[in-house]
Amino acid sequence: MTGLIELTLWTAIFASAQTTLIAGFPKESYLAYVLWTAFVTRITTNWMYESRMIEEIDKGSINGLLVRPMSFFEYYLSQLLGYKFITSSLSFLIPLVAVSYFGLPTVYSKLPLALLLIAYYLVFVHTLSFFIATLAFQLNRVYSLTIAKNLALWIFTGELFPLDILPEPYRSILIQLPFANAVFIPVGYLTGRVPLEMVCHGFATTTYGLIVMGALSALTWKWGLSKYSGHGA
Amino acid sequence: MKRILKYSRLMKAFFKASFVADLEYRANFATRILTDIIWYAAQVLMFEALFRVTDTIGSWNLAQTRVFLGVLFVVDAFYMIFFSENLDHMSDKVRKGEIDLLLAKPVSSQFMVSLQRINTAIFGNLLIGLVWLYFALSSLPDFQWIRLLWLLLLIPAGLLSLYSIRFMFCSLAMLFTRADNIQYLWFQLYRLGMRPDSIYVPWLKVLVLTILPVAVVASVPSRALLDPPHISLFVFVSIWSIGLVYLSHRFWNYCLRHYSSASS
Repeated sequence: MTGLIELTLWTAIFASAQTTLIAGFPKESYLAYVLWTAFVTRITTNWMYESRMIEEIDKGSINGLLVRPMSFFEYYLSQLLGYKFITSSLSFLIPLVAVSYFGLPTVYSKLPLALLLIAYYLVFVHTLSFFIATLAFQLNRVYSLTIAKNLALWIFTGELFPLDILPEPYRSILIQLPFANAVFIPVGYLTGRVPLEMVCHGFATTTYGLIVMGALSALTWKWGLSKYSGHGA
Repeated sequence: MKRILKYSRLMKAFFKASFVADLEYRANFATRILTDIIWYAAQVLMFEALFRVTDTIGSWNLAQTRVFLGVLFVVDAFYMIFFSENLDHMSDKVRKGEIDLLLAKPVSSQFMVSLQRINTAIFGNLLIGLVWLYFALSSLPDFQWIRLLWLLLLIPAGLLSLYSIRFMFCSLAMLFTRADNIQYLWFQLYRLGMRPDSIYVPWLKVLVLTILPVAVVASVPSRALLDPPHISLFVFVSIWSIGLVYLSHRFWNYCLRHYSSASS
């Protein structure tokens, strides 16, 4: 449904613009981008487990997990990866059939690397979710923070529109951030608007992001646990 | 008259209670405003970016699309203030059996379910929406400000249509208990209303103006401001919005007859 609305929008834009190329790419490139984006964003967004982590801390049910011989972070990371693997394997056929049916540009040989970047980004996005969840130790109702973050990611990831149609310097800044690895870089690579170097750069920015968010969340986790009294935050 | 007074007093009490509850969590109050500012920014940014590569989308240029966004922000703010929070949690209320308490009150259950919680944090957003609309209209060459009077008719009509359709979607929770995926479908449909209706193919345009009238939210009021008045469309939209409220009420009663009470 999301994909269909965006397809309609881009078709209307090309019809109005009366040109075959926008920002150097043809209509088919945008349509392929929109179709793959609808699929990829379902993988790279993390509403459900972030809400569950917040709820565990908020209501105190985290106690049951703290006494287990594993970390809270890893417990939810394994759940997230397992869930995403199953759901995306099943829904993968939809964009594949759609792009084949409409004859839209997709380089299938690039798929493994694009999926690898998406999987790596998932670890980063989980760390980001973990960071927000740890704030629930200190703040009441951090759910709205989740909504704010997800809305910001809507722009920063390239889900709303391909980041390369933005003017400089916004374009370069957003592409340098790890969030672009959620949608713009893997989908752009798959549909032929992003070169291999940018994918390699994407792995590097995800790593930097992981280091920063990992350090921050380790701090807020320690800080939160030191204040936590054991019966809900 | 007595009924109107009774419901007005109830609305006042709801407003007071909601405002106190919102102020209790001030960080949350501030974050809610921030969240919506990001949402507005996303909508504006998207069209500003798209108009860098084209002069018109559908039949509107950038200045006209800004007006469309202004109308969208205003209607959406009203919807968020009065209905969103109530309807968003309706499925949860059914599941947890909280709806039973509301059904036992000596007032219209639809009124209680739809308006019990007023989101006072969103008044700031309404102001932002109005300022944006004023900015967008001011930048139109020779805009006739008298046209704003159309909004007195079309914004309530859009709001009523939006409420009725969403309410019917939410009422399904009374029948199926777990209706979360149906709510997801609603959000996708609502997205159709966030784009100018002129971009849609004719059959889809008819659909979003009649059976699922999400285009009535912003596209039709914007047309009243930007294009020559289309009186028959405005009359249709106004009558249809009242018809939808009536339909939503009938559907609610149908759902109530099939509701098997708490946590069922």
